[in-house]
Amino acid sequence: MLKLNNLSKVYRTEEVETTALNNISFHIEKGEFVAIMGPSGCGKSTLLNIIGMLDNPSSGEYHFLGEEIAQASEKQLANIRKQNIGFIFQSFNLIDELTVSENVELALLYNDVPAKERKERVARVLDKVGIAHRARHMPSQLSGGQQQRVAVARALVAEPAMILADEPTGNLDSAHGEEVMQMLKSLNEEGSTIIMVTHSPSHADYARRTINLFDGQVVTEIYRAAE
Amino acid sequence: MFKNYILIALRNMMHNKLYSLINIGGLALGLAVFVFATVLSNYEKTHDMFFDKADRIYTLGSVFSPTANVGVIEDDNVYTTMAPLLTAEVPDIEAIARIVKHEFLLSMGDRKFYQDIKFADKAFLKIFDFDYLAGDSSALDDPSGIVLTETMARKYFPSPDFSAEMAMGQVISLDHKHDLRVTAVIRDVPKNSHFSSSLFGDYLAVVATLPALNKMTGYNLDGNWGNLTSGNLTYVLLPAHLDAEWLERQANGVFDRHASDYAKDYLTGLKSHRLQDVNLVIWDMLGLPVIEGMVVLGFLVLIIAGLNYTNLATAQAMGRAKEVGLRKTMGASRGQLLTQFLIESMAIAMIAMLVALAMLEMIIPVFNDSMGKIVSLEYSSLLPSLMGVTFLVGLIAGLYPAYVIIRATPVDALNNALGTGSKGSFVRSCMMGAQFVISIVMLAMVAVVSFQNEKMKESSEIYPKSQIVTLQRLGVDDLQGRLETLQREMNTIPEVENVTFSSRVPFEQGSWTFDVTKNSGDVAAKVSLHRIAVEYDFLKTYDIPLIAGRDFSRDFANDLETRDSRAVNVILNELALKKIGFASAEDALNKSFYQVYGGHAAAKKSKAYVIVGVMADQNFLGLHNDVKPFVFRVDPRYYYKASIRIKGQNLTQTMEEINDIWQKINPDYPIQVKFLDEIFDMTFKRSRAINMVLAGFAVMALTLAFVGLFGLSAFMAERRTKEIGLRKVMGAKTHQIVLLLIWQFSRPVLWALALALPLAYLASDAYLTSFADRINLQMVLIAGSGLVALVLSWLIVSAHAVRVARRKPITALRYE
Repeated sequence: MLKLNNLSKVYRTEEVETTALNNISFHIEKGEFVAIMGPSGCGKSTLLNIIGMLDNPSSGEYHFLGEEIAQASEKQLANIRKQNIGFIFQSFNLIDELTVSENVELALLYNDVPAKERKERVARVLDKVGIAHRARHMPSQLSGGQQQRVAVARALVAEPAMILADEPTGNLDSAHGEEVMQMLKSLNEEGSTIIMVTHSPSHADYARRTINLFDGQVVTEIYRAAE
Repeated sequence: MFKNYILIALRNMMHNKLYSLINIGGLALGLAVFVFATVLSNYEKTHDMFFDKADRIYTLGSVFSPTANVGVIEDDNVYTTMAPLLTAEVPDIEAIARIVKHEFLLSMGDRKFYQDIKFADKAFLKIFDFDYLAGDSSALDDPSGIVLTETMARKYFPSPDFSAEMAMGQVISLDHKHDLRVTAVIRDVPKNSHFSSSLFGDYLAVVATLPALNKMTGYNLDGNWGNLTSGNLTYVLLPAHLDAEWLERQANGVFDRHASDYAKDYLTGLKSHRLQDVNLVIWDMLGLPVIEGMVVLGFLVLIIAGLNYTNLATAQAMGRAKEVGLRKTMGASRGQLLTQFLIESMAIAMIAMLVALAMLEMIIPVFNDSMGKIVSLEYSSLLPSLMGVTFLVGLIAGLYPAYVIIRATPVDALNNALGTGSKGSFVRSCMMGAQFVISIVMLAMVAVVSFQNEKMKESSEIYPKSQIVTLQRLGVDDLQGRLETLQREMNTIPEVENVTFSSRVPFEQGSWTFDVTKNSGDVAAKVSLHRIAVEYDFLKTYDIPLIAGRDFSRDFANDLETRDSRAVNVILNELALKKIGFASAEDALNKSFYQVYGGHAAAKKSKAYVIVGVMADQNFLGLHNDVKPFVFRVDPRYYYKASIRIKGQNLTQTMEEINDIWQKINPDYPIQVKFLDEIFDMTFKRSRAINMVLAGFAVMALTLAFVGLFGLSAFMAERRTKEIGLRKVMGAKTHQIVLLLIWQFSRPVLWALALALPLAYLASDAYLTSFADRINLQMVLIAGSGLVALVLSWLIVSAHAVRVARRKPITALRYE
């Protein structure tokens, strides 16, 4: 699915140079469920942003589906992204002015899906995450767990090959957190590649592989046997 | 996709009601002002276009030479002798017609009215295709014919079952002397014509023939190089292939060949105007680009509104960073986001335009009523330009916020980290500053203009304005013989202090000059003086002080000028004696100067004027002009007006008594009373009107700028909640934070001041050059305007600053 080779990200200001990622190399196969862990500031989010093509690395190679995209333009990245990647954020990032179904529909809007099909797919995915009865509500009318389910639905609706989740349970209580993890697990079982940043060891246990980062470097990789 | 854009735009507006209101309201206000200024200017510029031959009709005007000293740059008319000369020498002209205004007492049996009549050449009706209710364009072929508008016909021949035909053939007598017969009734000329222009204040009501005027006054219009009177226009109809420039060349050729030396001294040449420009000639005469100025001001207000919108929209767009970040994450391209934001701003511009049009639909009828105009929004013809303006405003105003928001990377956008850079705030400050520059300059101009107006009003207090009642139009033969009786009888009224006569009273516009020289026959050294005929008690009545010599007195035979006088005693002002060549008042006393007769001084024996008194330089001839050199002489042949000085109590009763006495002595002529106050207001109202218009624009501009500042500072204060919370945690006091915020928010206003003050100085200086008696407060007023703007902006900003600064630090910190 993707392969990183000596990938680095350096933030420069006039006086300070901060290395967020330092020579990272690993690859992720199609259908994997990978957790990325590490202390605050170790570069987890930066790594996820680069994998999600929201940011460019400073150096190194990034092969996605066999294509080298480390220094691709924003426009090229946007095109690959919208067809292949779904995002779930810690803070949900729903648009307050749009209803639940409109928020989900947003992911299809930029993929030139005809209106009728968009409606069907949004309905289907909302049903799948169990929030269909709230389709016409505004995000502010939902609980945190419900909001995150909407965000999951949005990540799924375009049927991306890979889902990136940045601390998806970080803003949720443990019960809702479990719910979301179950959802991700079943998605993975249906064939989606999932990469998740998390602080929670128990949530990391849902993944087959855990990559531990420290100071921008991969320190350990732990594989878990299939249950 | 499109639906999604509009939807989110609308919900955004609903979500931020205050900002949307400020945004749309401000833009609507700017658009309304701009559209109104444009429509009004267009209205003023397309007068008279409904006449069939409008595009072939021209008028001729005169350009004064700099030495003419008449207070205006040009006049809308030419000497009446030009028309016959042009007819004779320029055969290509299709038709030419003059009109000469003159007021007469019209009587139809017992009904009597004073009325301004336009006496015209008969070609007048061939040039203009009026709408005839009765009669036709041959109505003036008969020298005793008279044409009435419908309104006048109804007034003169009232009847429950009035018809235009009923008026036909009726007899109207002028000053009880000369009978005319109604030969046509025309529909009232529409208001968008110079014939009914509120600018001229001179309406086409009654038209008679020039030969009829000739019979009344014995005045010969042909061959006369001495009569230029504003409003007495000469109309020329040209064949389609000839134009204004051609006409101007021909007219100047004729003028050069025939004009007297005096006329050539007085004028530098002639000028042609297209018919549709005639309505605006009055502004050319004054040298004030009022119509263009109005459009420029309207445009400036629109710019302010646009900047305002851009600034607020940019601030607001930053609040939408998360949305943009998400859309980018979902794969939205820059083009798509740009389209979204531009569609949004165009939608807002469109709503604003609709609001603006709704405002105008309410305002224009009121404006029309009070100004006597028929301005209207002709949507069919306006639509393309309205749409164009809306599109442009939406595009230009939306471009910057769109740029700011879409240039950020998705990660920055998601983290709300966009546009916080110093560059963004610099651009926003510039926009805010530009608004304030324009507003402050306008405000300063309003202050300068209104103080200058006040000064003018103050200067007018040199005469006992409120105590003087004038009786107009005494220059009729029938009345001239009764003046002494009138004066004697009026003086018996207890409230009347004095009654005196003169050729004119203060503040009236117009000029009547003669040339004089210090040494008899020295034509080369001639100077031109204004002359005013007065009666013995005139100076006393008007409290005009003498700085040397004596007042007129019946004890000196030579104080009275007659047709055959060879030496006449006069009183003149200091400026006049300096112009003639005397060093001082004392030096001039009892010295003489001599009249010069135009061109042929040798033919007549010069009349000598002996200076017996010198008065201070007063602005007798209207306050809009420089003080003129003038000469007072006692000459009963020119007693056209009476001035009655009253004590000022029991005004109603006094006026009744004055009226009764007039009725007793002059039963055949209605009394015409004007208070000196009113006469002053006639000219003063123009200056006041200009100031009102300017003030209107300035208020709009300043309101918009303040509303913008209010919105922007609210937004910025909100965005800095966290910073403020941190400062408080670190121990900052509320007032320190308020001061910090006020200082930061008012910086653009300070920059604007630095730029606006010199600009305001230059602009006001240009305006004030046309006043002789100019205010010396200019600098103070400009600085004051700046201070007002600054203090107001502080008040506005501090409202937010105090609110945000007083919050508990924990609320502030939790904001993120």
